[in-house]
Amino acid sequence: MESQKVDLFMMMNAKHFESYHLSAIREKLIQMDESKWPMVQSLQLKDPTTSLIISIVGGGSLGIDRFYIGDTGMGIGKLLTCGGLGIWTIIDWFLIMGATREKNMEMFQNALY
Amino acid sequence: MTKNKLYSLVLIACSAGFIYLLYHLYYSESSQYSVCMIKNVTGFPCPSCGTTRAVQLMFQWHFIDSVMMNPFGIIISAILTLLPFWVVIDLILKRDTFLKFYKQSEIILRQKKIAIPLIILVILNWIWNIIKLI
Repeated sequence: MESQKVDLFMMMNAKHFESYHLSAIREKLIQMDESKWPMVQSLQLKDPTTSLIISIVGGGSLGIDRFYIGDTGMGIGKLLTCGGLGIWTIIDWFLIMGATREKNMEMFQNALY
Repeated sequence: MTKNKLYSLVLIACSAGFIYLLYHLYYSESSQYSVCMIKNVTGFPCPSCGTTRAVQLMFQWHFIDSVMMNPFGIIISAILTLLPFWVVIDLILKRDTFLKFYKQSEIILRQKKIAIPLIILVILNWIWNIIKLI
């Protein structure tokens, strides 16, 4: 694919991925066929900041942050246990942004491979 | 979600659950604060407040009291008793039946026609909890 388009994608979506993912994503996109561009653009990547806000503003102890990023199983775990007895809620304030970026990478890989 | 991560998470969560149950059984009669953040901050119970007491009642074979306390107690006590065995047997026999089950159930639960009724049930349980003032 054209490097111009790839750079545009990277600029728009850099915050959705971990920094160590970026070079691999760039490589993958450059090797990719032009016909997959609409699919890449229509990926619904989740914003790490949004999930952090959800986690802090009360969604944390109901597991809504985990449901938001598509981690349904762990979301149910948090919901049924008052946010993991309140401890998991606090841990997730620090982990949820990283978890969101990992989930985005997973989504990217599932869409393209 | 990798196999090791999921299995260690389940084992840690279940052992933490049992430790908390024991702690609650012996020490927490006098404390006025609970572990639930929503209850501590707002004073209203969250959908799963009362689950510890429900699980305790369930393990003492008081089914009806347990359901009246919080229906989530049934799910939690089933998880607490069954999952550790499932995970350990999987680990011993080097299979991944529980991982497959977890992934499959995530896909099923994400479907709208299943997710929406479950969300409504949780909200109804929340309302019931607030009425009971657990």
